Amino acid sequence: MKYRLLAGVSALVTAAALSACSSGGDGGDGAGGVTTVDVWLMRDSVSAAFQKEFTEGFEAAHPDIDVRIQIQEWDGIGQKITAALASNDAPDVIEAGNTQVAQFAESGGLLDLSDRKDELNGDDWLKGLAEPGSYEGKQYGIPYYAANRVVVYRKDLFAKAGVDAAAITTREQWIDATTKLNKGGTQGIYLPGQLWYALGGFIWDEGGDFATESGGRWEGALDTPEALRGMAFYARLQALGKGPKDSDEDDPPQAEVMAQGQVAQVISTPGGANVVVENNPQLEGKLGFFPIPGKTAGTPGAVFTGGSDLVVPAAAGHPDAAVTFIKELTGDAWQKKLAVAMSYVPNRTTLASAVADDPGASAMAVGAANGHATPNTPGWAAVEAENPVKDYMTAVLTGGDAAEEAAKASADITRAMNAGS
Amino acid sequence: MPAVRERPAPRVHRPPTTPPGRRPGRSPHDLWPYALIAPAIGGMLYLLVYPLVRAVVISLQDFRLRQLISGDAEFVGLRNYRTLLSDPRFWEVTGRTFVFMAVNVVLIMVVSTLVALMTERLRRVGRTVVLCALVLAWAMPVVAATTVFQWLFHSEFGIVNQSLTALGFGSFDRYPWFANGTASFTILVLLIVWQSVPFAAVTLYSALTTVPAELYESARLDGASASRIFRSLTFPMLRPIFMLVLSLEVIWTFKAFVQIWVMTRGGPGDATTILPVYAVQTALSSQRYDLGSAASMITVVLMSGVLVLYFRQMFRQEDDLR
Amino acid sequence: MTLPSRRVRRIPLNAAAVVTVVVCLFPVYWMVSTAFKPSRDIQSAEPRLVPYTWTLDHFRRAVQADGFELFWRNSILVTLGAVLLSLVVALGASFAVARLRWRGRRQFMLLVFVAQMAPWESPIIPVYIISRDTDMLDRLPTLTLVYFMITLPFTIVVLRGFLATIPPELEEAAQVDGCTRTGAFVKVALPLLAPGLMATSLFGFITAWNEFAYANFLIIKQQDNRTLPVWLSSFQNTFGTDWGATMAASTLFALPALVIFLLLQRHVTSGFAAGAVKG
Repeated sequence: MKYRLLAGVSALVTAAALSACSSGGDGGDGAGGVTTVDVWLMRDSVSAAFQKEFTEGFEAAHPDIDVRIQIQEWDGIGQKITAALASNDAPDVIEAGNTQVAQFAESGGLLDLSDRKDELNGDDWLKGLAEPGSYEGKQYGIPYYAANRVVVYRKDLFAKAGVDAAAITTREQWIDATTKLNKGGTQGIYLPGQLWYALGGFIWDEGGDFATESGGRWEGALDTPEALRGMAFYARLQALGKGPKDSDEDDPPQAEVMAQGQVAQVISTPGGANVVVENNPQLEGKLGFFPIPGKTAGTPGAVFTGGSDLVVPAAAGHPDAAVTFIKELTGDAWQKKLAVAMSYVPNRTTLASAVADDPGASAMAVGAANGHATPNTPGWAAVEAENPVKDYMTAVLTGGDAAEEAAKASADITRAMNAGS
Repeated sequence: MPAVRERPAPRVHRPPTTPPGRRPGRSPHDLWPYALIAPAIGGMLYLLVYPLVRAVVISLQDFRLRQLISGDAEFVGLRNYRTLLSDPRFWEVTGRTFVFMAVNVVLIMVVSTLVALMTERLRRVGRTVVLCALVLAWAMPVVAATTVFQWLFHSEFGIVNQSLTALGFGSFDRYPWFANGTASFTILVLLIVWQSVPFAAVTLYSALTTVPAELYESARLDGASASRIFRSLTFPMLRPIFMLVLSLEVIWTFKAFVQIWVMTRGGPGDATTILPVYAVQTALSSQRYDLGSAASMITVVLMSGVLVLYFRQMFRQEDDLR
Repeated sequence: MTLPSRRVRRIPLNAAAVVTVVVCLFPVYWMVSTAFKPSRDIQSAEPRLVPYTWTLDHFRRAVQADGFELFWRNSILVTLGAVLLSLVVALGASFAVARLRWRGRRQFMLLVFVAQMAPWESPIIPVYIISRDTDMLDRLPTLTLVYFMITLPFTIVVLRGFLATIPPELEEAAQVDGCTRTGAFVKVALPLLAPGLMATSLFGFITAWNEFAYANFLIIKQQDNRTLPVWLSSFQNTFGTDWGATMAASTLFALPALVIFLLLQRHVTSGFAAGAVKG
């Protein structure tokens, strides 16, 4: 009978431990009929100021809905969204990169929003966002914003070096100008070794691609002569600054590096300039934009049409509130504000005029004419998750044999793209 | 981590056997022990055995993102195992796992034995300082240590590159360690050895202190050399605890995951991908939970060879404990 | 053998000792000193072994980062919960193993040994599925349970080892004096076991405090329930180029482990010594 004491103590401790731990837990639904809509947005997709303004505006317009926005990191996001989609209590709205939607749609984890298309002005959506957002004829991803990369440059440093940004229209001129700028403490361009979207642009310029399809099977194509020429140009440009060869634009965040003041150019979405200024207010007004130069003066450099869609998980607790949220955020008023605040391309062609006066957006619009996408297949997400392209770039930049490394990376891409099937 | 307290002293002078329970056969208390172990058994069954069984089941199914979300997966027999075993990449990873394990374990055992022998010979103050240093390194949380190592080997501001450059090795100026497969592999080995040596060294040192000093005295009087004393006296006495530490280190390095995942994610390329990393990569990046589970199961099977060794040692100790 | 020559002979030994200490401590030292250095010194081409000027800025930045306190508290709660739970459960089990005779004892220990060696990272997907189906995702108690499981086997093994060093005769004497069996155990053996309990909780604490994979995968939507290791691993995202803050946060993360280890170290060795003497 005496072991009761022990059992009692153990039960007590257990209970105490468990109850102590659960206190930080729930908090989903408030009282009084207010629903909380949980939203995941990506890092740098909205500025803190815009987030606050929008949340306040939204909650004023919809007193019955509370908005709780969590900012997610791009690093490892695929796995995070997977875990969320498979859970019973997923966030209500998730921002996903346009290239990621296909994979999640295929798995059946997303809510089919086809019948909301009219309500959300679906006819005017940007193709580069709407198409990756649909799978087998159904619309899962609602276009949120688009952006492509431009060159963000320091007007003052250009002036000091006697370089006219407007005159840079070809790659060779760009290299010359950057070489001129890359003097003393100044980096001509800060190009991290693994900015693979920029590499994509150079490869598309040459007529190559990351992967090609034949007979339903995808194969990595980094080892084609076109792709190798793209990489060679990347290496030339990368050498004109101190970008780390072994990391991407998020590590360290390139906007923060530019904010330190020693960098003349970065390849970034125009929104990146806002982050630079946020980190170093002294650079206010000193940042300019020009489209990434192409091979010849007539054509702008090819760019990756990046952007995000908003998706609603099938397991979301408040799908109606989620749609209300999406409707507001993708509606006329907030899209215009967002586009101006973040220098994005609005999600609908009819809103393009909103950013007509914005220098970043107009540079972006030039590039957008030569916009490209990564292979539109569920298998591509697996490539991005492992990213052999990044390893390939680092290997070449640190002295590896380009052809050999490219063959290896292509084989990895082939494997990753076909692993799921 | 039981080894420290397993009382390594060889028990030559013990009476042959002592019955495990001191008061045999008291019938009213027959249920006692079962009640006492019930929570432990329950916990292990529900939190370990059950998930492991589920993992085996998944490895026999066609289980991807769709099945993870909706349930109802289809059984496919041994297909996943066949896919894995016929994949050259899997074999590369397996080979690398063994190399990684062997390099680590050899280094850990050699270094920690040397450190233990050294510590024993030190005077009191020196011994305390060394033990404290070991304990501090031991207590350093894995994630924190990994972060620190990343910082030490940072390409631009890392102290390692700066020191090497200052020493005249100009080629290490901004050398990107984590871009090179061999270099990353080496750094991970360094990290794991650095983290594992304290435990092994302290344990071996504790075992050393149980060797009676008179034995050394008489051996020395007999004119035996230092290396001979180690071979024919110290090591045989240390053997049981040495084997125990060895098998623990084998298992721990085989399972090393956090360091690699946080530091390199298995990259660059596949250079630091060992089996546990491969399993997680397959499961999470390619959404092939079935293949990932199969890879884990194969890992378990490969580890069980080492386990057999460990159990034998454990039970030998067990018999000693009675 | 004269004194000076002995001193000379000790030089290599002492040199080796110094090397050992430096190698062990340097990463720890570098973490702490980077955390105290001003950013300008951290990012200078001339590294300084001893900070030129000291600053608390990085600590301020780390502590003020979103949710640092919360994650710290979460980690402490989860870890302590798991350690206490496994201590209590293991105490019962190791008592049964070390003091009582029953059928299946050996099999039970085999199970414990197997459990101790089990690669507990591999059933992460099943654990995810099970927690989802029992509505335990996103909750700290789930992590407590998982860590309980991770620490339980070796807690049993270690406690049993300690228990075996305490002569049962002591308890038997108390029983003769009229104590019940449990009473004798609680009054006589438990106090003697205190160092063992501490040493054991130490290992449990380190393991649970460190755990990363489960914490990373089981806490999804309630980001307020994340633990420190997960947060720390995403640090470069949080702090960007600020390695000073990263190191400050690492220091704060390592601190409890270092402190507890140093505090309990005496008990670990004394407990061990006791065991060795009585062998």
